[in-house]
Amino acid sequence: MRQVALRGLRARPLRTILTAMSVVLGVAMIAGTYVLTDTINKSFSEVFSQANAGTDVVVAPQKVDKAFDGDPPPLDDRLVARVRGVDGVREAAGSIQGDISIRNAKGARIGGNTDLVLSLQPKPLDPFKFVAGRAPRAADEVALSSKAFGDEHLKVGDTLTLVGNEGARHYKLVGSATFGDVDTVAGYPAAIVTLPTAQALTGNVGKVGTISVVAADGVAPERLRASVADALGGEKVEVRTGAQDAAQQTKDLEKNFSFSRTALLVFGAIALFVGAFVIYNTFTITVAQRTRELALLRTLGASRRQVLRSVVMEAGLIGLLASVLGLIGGLLLAPALRGLLKIIGADLPATASVVALRTIIVSLLVGVVVTVIASIVPALRATRIAPIVALRDGLTAQTTVSRKRIIFAALLSLVGGGVLAYGLFGGASGTGAAATLGGGAVLVFLGVALFSPQLVRPLAWVVGAPLQRFGGVSGRLARENATRNPARTAVTAAALMVGVALVAFVSIFAAGLRGSIDGAVDRAFTGNLSIVDKSGFGDTPPALVGAVGQVPGVKAVSALRFSEAKVGRKTSTSSIIGIDPATLAQTYKLKWKQGSDATLATLGGDGVLVDTGYSKHAKIGDRLTMLTPAGKRVTYVVKGLLDEGSDFGLLGGGLVLPNARLAADFDAKDNSFVFLSYAAGAPATATRAAIDNLLKQRFPDTETQDREQVKKAQAGQINQLLYLIYALLALSIIVAFFGIVNTLALSIFERTRELGMLRAIGTSRRQVKRIVRLEAVITSLIGALLGLVLGVAFAVAISQPLKKEGFTLTFPVTTLLLLLLAAAAAGTIASLWPARRAARLDVLRALAYE
Amino acid sequence: MLQGMSTDTFAQADVPATAAPTIVAVAGLHRRYGEGAAAVDALAGVDVAIHRGEFTAIMGASGSGKSTLMHLMAGLDTPTSGTVTLDGVRLDELDDRRLTELRRDKVGFIFQAFNLLPVLTAEENLVLPLTIAGRKADPAWLESLVQAVGLGDRRTHRPSEMSGGQQQRVAVARALVTRPAVVFADEPTGNLDSVASTDVLALLRRAVDDFEQTVVMVTHDAASASYADRLIVLADGRIAHDGPAGTTEEVIDVMKAVAS
Repeated sequence: MRQVALRGLRARPLRTILTAMSVVLGVAMIAGTYVLTDTINKSFSEVFSQANAGTDVVVAPQKVDKAFDGDPPPLDDRLVARVRGVDGVREAAGSIQGDISIRNAKGARIGGNTDLVLSLQPKPLDPFKFVAGRAPRAADEVALSSKAFGDEHLKVGDTLTLVGNEGARHYKLVGSATFGDVDTVAGYPAAIVTLPTAQALTGNVGKVGTISVVAADGVAPERLRASVADALGGEKVEVRTGAQDAAQQTKDLEKNFSFSRTALLVFGAIALFVGAFVIYNTFTITVAQRTRELALLRTLGASRRQVLRSVVMEAGLIGLLASVLGLIGGLLLAPALRGLLKIIGADLPATASVVALRTIIVSLLVGVVVTVIASIVPALRATRIAPIVALRDGLTAQTTVSRKRIIFAALLSLVGGGVLAYGLFGGASGTGAAATLGGGAVLVFLGVALFSPQLVRPLAWVVGAPLQRFGGVSGRLARENATRNPARTAVTAAALMVGVALVAFVSIFAAGLRGSIDGAVDRAFTGNLSIVDKSGFGDTPPALVGAVGQVPGVKAVSALRFSEAKVGRKTSTSSIIGIDPATLAQTYKLKWKQGSDATLATLGGDGVLVDTGYSKHAKIGDRLTMLTPAGKRVTYVVKGLLDEGSDFGLLGGGLVLPNARLAADFDAKDNSFVFLSYAAGAPATATRAAIDNLLKQRFPDTETQDREQVKKAQAGQINQLLYLIYALLALSIIVAFFGIVNTLALSIFERTRELGMLRAIGTSRRQVKRIVRLEAVITSLIGALLGLVLGVAFAVAISQPLKKEGFTLTFPVTTLLLLLLAAAAAGTIASLWPARRAARLDVLRALAYE
Repeated sequence: MLQGMSTDTFAQADVPATAAPTIVAVAGLHRRYGEGAAAVDALAGVDVAIHRGEFTAIMGASGSGKSTLMHLMAGLDTPTSGTVTLDGVRLDELDDRRLTELRRDKVGFIFQAFNLLPVLTAEENLVLPLTIAGRKADPAWLESLVQAVGLGDRRTHRPSEMSGGQQQRVAVARALVTRPAVVFADEPTGNLDSVASTDVLALLRRAVDDFEQTVVMVTHDAASASYADRLIVLADGRIAHDGPAGTTEEVIDVMKAVAS
C-alpha cells in the first residue's frame, strides 16, 4: 500500500508539486519568520556579548514594573564612584548609548532610520578596536564604526554632524573602529564619543545607562557581583555578571520582538489555513477520481484501514515535501520580511541567517500536520468506498449536501459570530481579545465554507449571467461546469474567500481609521504647522520648542509627549499625555466635558485632566495615585474632564498632565508632536520658510507639516501598515490561486472524454480555453463576493465597540471593486495553464479515455 | 451430450454424485434492489454449489441476475435473504474486517476492465494482493505464474505499455497469486479481441487443470463458456439450467432453450 501511495505521487509529479505548493507558502512564512527573528536575536546577542567581553559585572537600572514598555530611567553617574570604591573592583566606568542621526558633510543621513551613539569607556571595558586614527578625546571629537567609515569614503579629519537632543552639532572625525571584530553595531552605523558628549547627545547629562565593572585579579565575577550589590543596597539597580547581563539583554530583546514575530506567524497560519482548504479539495477530488482504483484495492483484500493509511500517507508525503520546500523558501523569504518590517520603521540588523533546530522541527511538523488533517475527511470518505464499485460503471458520485451539513454549517457560523462578539464586547483586551477574534473568524470562515455549496448555484447564476452574455455558449458551459459539483467549486472559492475577506476587512478598517483621524485633525488642530520627526516614528528634540519659538511671526509653540503609568491597583498601564498648559489652547481645540481652556492654567503641579475614554466615572476633585516608569509614586487631583475620546482626538483615552510633570515624574523629555501657530498678521509663507530653514540647520531630522500634510502623513502611516498587511495577505491569496489551478486541472482530467466530445463536434481550441477560463473567473468571483461580504461584516462588527471612541465606518468602494476585478484577473491567470492543457487534448485519445 | 436439457428439470439441480467437494454453497439466495413498487428481484431464490477444482461458467441474459449471484458469492454484496458459505465460512456472519480478510486470502477477482493499477508495474500488480497482506510471494509459484502469463521481459512494464490481452492475463495471474479458494471472473474477455480472449480463457483453463484452482466465470459469450466444465444459466433471478458446459454450439443451444 505504501508503494501505491508513493507511486501515485511519483507518477504525477506536477500534481504533487501543485498540491504541495498550497502548503509551501504557509510553511515558508513560518520558517522565514523564525529565521528572521533568530537572526536578529543572534546579531544583537553577539553585540551584547561583544560589549560585555571585558566586563565582569554590570550595574543596570532596575525595571520599575514589568507592565511598562519602555526602559527604566538611567542611573545617576555619581554611582560610578561608589562602585569604584567597592572591594575587589579594579575598574568601573559608566556608559550610555542612544539613537541619534549621523550626517555627512552634505547633510545626508548615514545608514537607514537608525544610527547609534556609544560612549567611550576606559580599557579594558572598551569593546572598540580603532582601525584608523584614534579614539575621541575631546568633547567635539567622534570616531565612526568602520563599515560606515568605509562606505561613506570618509577620512580622519573630516567633519561629521551628529543630531541629538540639542539639535545638529559638528564634530571632528578622529578615527574608525570595529566593535569587537564587527564593523557595525548590530548592523547599524555607530558614532563613538566621550561620555560627556554622549550624555549631552542623548539628553542625559549626569546620567549613565549602565556601569561596567572589571574585577581585580583573583576575584570571581559572581563574588564581585554580590559585593557590588551589597554596596548599592537600597538603590534601584540590578547587578549582574557580564554573562548574565548579555543573556538578560538578549531576553529583553526577544520579548520586544515577540509581537512582530507573532504577527508574522499569524499570517503564516492564515496561509496554512487557506492551504488546508486547497489540500482538502484536492484530496476530495483525487479520491473521487480514484474511486475505482481504491475499490479494486478493496476487492483485493485491502482493509479500510489500509485504504485510510494509503490516503493519509500520501498526504503526509505531500506535507513533508511541502515542508522541506517551505523551509528552503523560508530562508529566501527571511530577507524579504526584513525589508517589509523596515517599511514600518523596524530597521533590523542582519548577520548570516540562523536556522535553528526549532525552526526545522516546527516547519516540518506544521506542514505535515496541516496536510494530514486536511486530508482526513477525504481519506475517511475513501474508506467508505464499497469494493463492488470496482465492478460498476459510471462512478463520479454526485455530492449531495445533506441537511445535517447545512445545520452544522449554520451552527458553526453562529458560534463563530458569538465568539467574535464576545471578543469585541466581552471586555477582554490585548492578546486574549485578538485570539478570541481570530478563533471566531476561523469558525465563521469554516461555517461559511461548509454552507457555501448552497450558494454556488445562485452566485454562479449572478456572476455568470454577464459572462454568458458575452461568452456565448462557452459562458453557458462554464457556468454549468462551475455548478456541476457545487461542493468542489465552493471549497475552491472558499480558499480565496478567506484572503479576500481579510483584505476587504483591513482596507475598510484602514479607511475608517483614516477618515476618523482626518475628522479629528480638522476639528481639533487649530494651529498652523506641526513639526514631526521625518521618519514618522521618532520624537523631536526638546531644544526644538524653544528655538522655533524665537522665529519671528511664531506666536505659540506647544509640545505633546506621551508616557504611561500604572494607576491605582490596575495591573495594566494607562496612557499619559503630556501637554503645555500655557500654549495648548492656541494650537489645539480641546473638547471639554467639564471645565474650559481656563482650567489648563489651574493644573499647576498636581492637576490632571481625565478623558471619558479613560474613565466615565471620574469626578472633579478625585485623587489619582499612580506609579510612573521612573519609579515614582505620585498623586494628582482631577481638575477637569475631557471628551476627547469620543472624537478620536489626539488626546483621547488617557490622563492629561503638563509636560513639566512628565519630565519630572515620568522621565519623559522628548516631544512626539510639536504644534505651532502664527501671530496675527504674520506672513504665512515667510514664517514657514524661516522655520523650515531653522529646522534644516539645527534639527535636520524634523520637518514642518501644515494641516493637509498632517492628515496626509497620518494616512501615509496607516497606508504603510495597510500595504504591509496586503503584502502578507497576498501569500494566502496566492495559495488560493494555486487551489484554483489545481481544481481546474483535476476537473479537466476528469472531463477528458467530454472535452474530446466537444472537440469532436466542432468546438475550437479557443472555445475550449474560454470555457475553462470563464469557469475559473466564475469560481474566483464567487470566492471574492463571499469574501467581500464577510470582510464588510467583520469591519462593521469591529467598528461597533470603536464607535464610542469616534471611529466612523467608511467603505473604500474603489478599493473593494478593484479587489473584485483583481480576483477575476487572478482567476484568468490561474486558468491559463489548465486551459491550455484542455485545448491541447487529442480528440481521438480523449474519446477513448477511460 | 444434450441429455436432460430441459430447462425446468435442472432448475433445482442436485450435485452430481461424482462431484468434487463443495467450495461455495448458496442456499435460498434472494436479492432485492430498491423498495416498494420500484423493487426488482435480481435473485429470486437460488441454491447452488460450486465444486472445488472446477471451471464453472454462469450465463444469462442482461438482468438475469448472473452478476448479482457472483457478487453475492464473492461477498461484495449482501443478500436480502439466504446464505453463502465460502470454504466453510458463512459470509453473513463476517464483519467488514473479516470479509476483507476473506477477500484477500480466499478469493481472487478478475474484472472486465480496469484490473490493474496504472501506477504499478506488471509484476507489482501481479503480487499486489500479497503486498496488501504484507506477505512475500513464493518465488517458484510466482515464476510459474509469470511463465503461464507469458510476461517474460515485460515484468517492469506499466499497464499503459501493455496490450489489453496482456493486461488481462496479468489480472488472471494476480487472481491466482494467493492460491485462493475460488477465482471469480466477471466477463474477463468482454473487452478483448478473439485472439486475446483465447489466451485469457486458455490461461483460466490452465489454472484449473494445472494449478488445481476453482474458477467461476460470468460471461455472455458462448465461446468463452465452452472453456468451462460446468454451465449454469440464470433467467429472471433463478437457475434455469445447470449441467456440463460442452462445446460452443452446445452452449448456444442451451441458451436458446432457456430463452424460449
